[in-house]
Amino acid sequence: MTVNRRRIYILPSRFGIMLAAILAAMLVAGLNYNSNLGLAFGFLMASMALVTMHHCNRNLQRLSVDVTTEIDAFAGREAVFEFALHNASSVDRRDIEVRCMLGVGMGSVAANENESITVVVPVAQRGLTRVKQFELRTRYPFGWFYSWTYVQQLLTVYIAPAPSGTRILPSQGAQGSGSHSEKRGDEDFSGLRAYEPGVPLKHMAWKVLARGGEAAVRSYSSLAAQPEWLDFSALEGLDVEARLSQLCLWVLESDAAQRPYGLRIPGKEIAPSGGAAHRFACLRALAAHGVAETAA
Amino acid sequence: MITDRVTFEQLLGISACLALAVVAHLTSLPVWIPVVVIACGLIRLALARNGRTSPPGWAVLILAGLSIPLLFVRFHTFNGLSAGTALLTLMAGLKLLETKTRRDIYIITLIIYFVSLAALLEGDSFWLLAYLIAVCWLTTATLLRLTSSGPAPDWRVSLRYGGRVLGQALPLALVFWLLFPRFAGPLWQIPADTRSAESGLSDTMSPGDITQLALSDDVAFRVRFAGAPPSSQEMYWRGPVLHDFDGHTWRRIDSIFANTQPLEGQGAAHKYTVEMEPHQHKWIFTLDWPVQWDLARAGLTSDYTLVQDSPLSRPIDVVATSYARVQFPDSLSANARRRDTRLSDRNPRTLQLAQELRSAHPDDMEFVSAVLAMFAQQPFYYTLSPPKLGADPVDEFLFDTKRGFCEHYASAFAALTRAAGIPARVVTGYQGGTPNPFADYWIVRQSDAHAWDEVWIGGRGWVRIDPTAAIAPQRVEGGLTDAANADDALASRWRRKSPWFADARLRLDYLREVWRERILDFDQDSQRKLLEMLQIPEPDGQKLVMVLAGAMFLVLCWLTWQVRRELDPLSKDSAVRAFGRLCAKLAAAGLPRLPHEGAEAYAARVARQRPDLAHAVTALCRQYSALRYAAPSTSVTLGQFEAAVRVFRPRSLPK
Repeated sequence: MTVNRRRIYILPSRFGIMLAAILAAMLVAGLNYNSNLGLAFGFLMASMALVTMHHCNRNLQRLSVDVTTEIDAFAGREAVFEFALHNASSVDRRDIEVRCMLGVGMGSVAANENESITVVVPVAQRGLTRVKQFELRTRYPFGWFYSWTYVQQLLTVYIAPAPSGTRILPSQGAQGSGSHSEKRGDEDFSGLRAYEPGVPLKHMAWKVLARGGEAAVRSYSSLAAQPEWLDFSALEGLDVEARLSQLCLWVLESDAAQRPYGLRIPGKEIAPSGGAAHRFACLRALAAHGVAETAA
Repeated sequence: MITDRVTFEQLLGISACLALAVVAHLTSLPVWIPVVVIACGLIRLALARNGRTSPPGWAVLILAGLSIPLLFVRFHTFNGLSAGTALLTLMAGLKLLETKTRRDIYIITLIIYFVSLAALLEGDSFWLLAYLIAVCWLTTATLLRLTSSGPAPDWRVSLRYGGRVLGQALPLALVFWLLFPRFAGPLWQIPADTRSAESGLSDTMSPGDITQLALSDDVAFRVRFAGAPPSSQEMYWRGPVLHDFDGHTWRRIDSIFANTQPLEGQGAAHKYTVEMEPHQHKWIFTLDWPVQWDLARAGLTSDYTLVQDSPLSRPIDVVATSYARVQFPDSLSANARRRDTRLSDRNPRTLQLAQELRSAHPDDMEFVSAVLAMFAQQPFYYTLSPPKLGADPVDEFLFDTKRGFCEHYASAFAALTRAAGIPARVVTGYQGGTPNPFADYWIVRQSDAHAWDEVWIGGRGWVRIDPTAAIAPQRVEGGLTDAANADDALASRWRRKSPWFADARLRLDYLREVWRERILDFDQDSQRKLLEMLQIPEPDGQKLVMVLAGAMFLVLCWLTWQVRRELDPLSKDSAVRAFGRLCAKLAAAGLPRLPHEGAEAYAARVARQRPDLAHAVTALCRQYSALRYAAPSTSVTLGQFEAAVRVFRPRSLPK
């Protein structure tokens, strides 16, 4: 998205207002003392302020910014926004502030360069936050003015519940504390499936790839055979948030252990699967459960 | 990471800027203020160097509590330029000491800007302005390093950016300066600063006074004549007229501001503009005898000196008309006669000599001639270093030492004529001047200071007598220093002896004069002339503001364009322009590019028609195509292409 100059606003900063007072005093002094040199100096300073206004405005002009529109976070931790700034001009853009929600990030983008600015915002509440716009702001060059623009972009923050809980997985409860991963061996190998991001490298079918085939992942019968249902209703005796937190922990544990799992919460059921996309789908389902969307 | 704490490097920058701004006030501030400011800066820098923050608040408070009352004791007020400047400077120093965050540095930069302006309210030299603009540039560059996130860029980068902003501000500042309406007088009474010293002649004259001036090269005033100037010998610039003589010192009578009617002129008049340098006295130097002037607040004293109602603290221009001969009243009033014949009873030998001469020359004019003849015939010397005189200075000069300067001769002559009962008075002022061959004006320097006499001759009125001219005629013809004794400072003699130096000095004075006339004296009138030059009929304040608005609009358009233009990717525009220059060169050699031709096709055609150019043109066109259409990382850079176009010189074939 490229910043359009019609939507860049500018105002003097507090320091700029002080400077204006000084400039007014300079003008009065110059006129009163009938000093042409004093006036020349005062006018030069005032003109510099006017030029600075243009430079401050220009610092944002035609700056392109890209951002990931969906952000995942856990309640009680931080949402991390990554803004990719691209400066397609021959002027350095210094001291660009990105303000999103309550967070501020700052960076400079050299001429014809890209720069990534990170904004870290602490999030407390589980839920779904939609950010309609974020702000680019700069006080460069002299801090006399600040110029800002709003970039209209819908950002969705999925705030999953904080993973916590003491219950153990139902299936593990039945089988004891044995772990699938220890038992897994080559004899469980059941075939190849398509690659998806998040799969550990050691499961990659490198030979297939080396032969020039599609990226593939070895799948194991022991994993495929026993999908685990992470069920909201199975967690009796806990309130809703505690149940969601427990489910969240299970999702993360199952994902780390590469076990296929499905999620069942009231109003939503996600079929058993594995991998990063599946994990995100589950976490987002947990985040969105039963909450009205909050806009920020 | 955004941090607000100042670094050592930022402190160093702002301290340097503050010190440079204080330098501009060094002569006018009490000595201890710069010392305190610099000490504050050094202490803060030393603390920062060791990784410590500012000293505790109470320490700064104690320092402020000690120094600010001290300042008040010195000035008795905080109002007024010098007291205000001193206070601001001190505050900047204290602020520097307690600087913790960037905000503190912002405050200091504001003080630097204002203190720089204050220096310009007092000084008026070009170099001061240039120096302070440089200080402002440096301060602004320092500011640039404060706002940066991450490591500050190289100093040169900051200076270049600050310089660019300054450069872009210049046209706008010029428009403001030229067209912002000026007022006739100050908005309110300027608090009087008694600090500026009086210069030039004073209202008393004792032996040795003018001798001191004789070595000064300072300009007293400059003169432009509307018509032909009078001869240098006739240029007597009238200053304070002295009447009271106690045997040693001549004094001006305390004549209040007078409204004496000018005398009626006879013969040719001289019209001229006197451009006075401020000398903190009320008088304005005019040729004998002034009859007209364009200064409303000025009038003639009873002895025909032009005076203003307040001391000259700023340079002013006065257009005046003088006559060499005027019609005096028939007789001198009894009061004036008594005043101008009064003598103390010191200098008895002088009184006796006057009696003897008087008995031989009963006619007033003959008596005067006899005194002048005595100066001419007896071994009277004209010297810049006369011997010291005692209690009866006129006696000692006339009978013992016989060596003196113009004030000795004027004083002795007036004493002799008064002793003979002829009314006489001493006139101080300047004699002659130096025409500037590089421009149409005369420079009158302090070294042209002179004293002469006026005697009342019945039937003729006041007659100017210059007794110094009697002993050393070359004094009046050639200027004072030629006649001066060889004792004067070696340096100034050398300066006068090398003509190139004198030349350079006159050229420099011309520049100074232009600076004064065009810049320092720019006022309502100049603005009116400017509008007339722009063909605007009946210029007035309202039209001025309209022109200002129009000009500002144009300059702001230019500025917007200028600032935006830099945003464009460099390679595209510049490459196109360079290619345009290449085509122009080829067109001049008889090979214009056809409108439909692309770069490659053009190169191919040129190669066919001019095989001698084929290699160069093909290479250049290929480079252009690469720059213009290929990925940014092509083998040739824009700079290389531009340089290649610059050195490409196709010869045109003979027809």
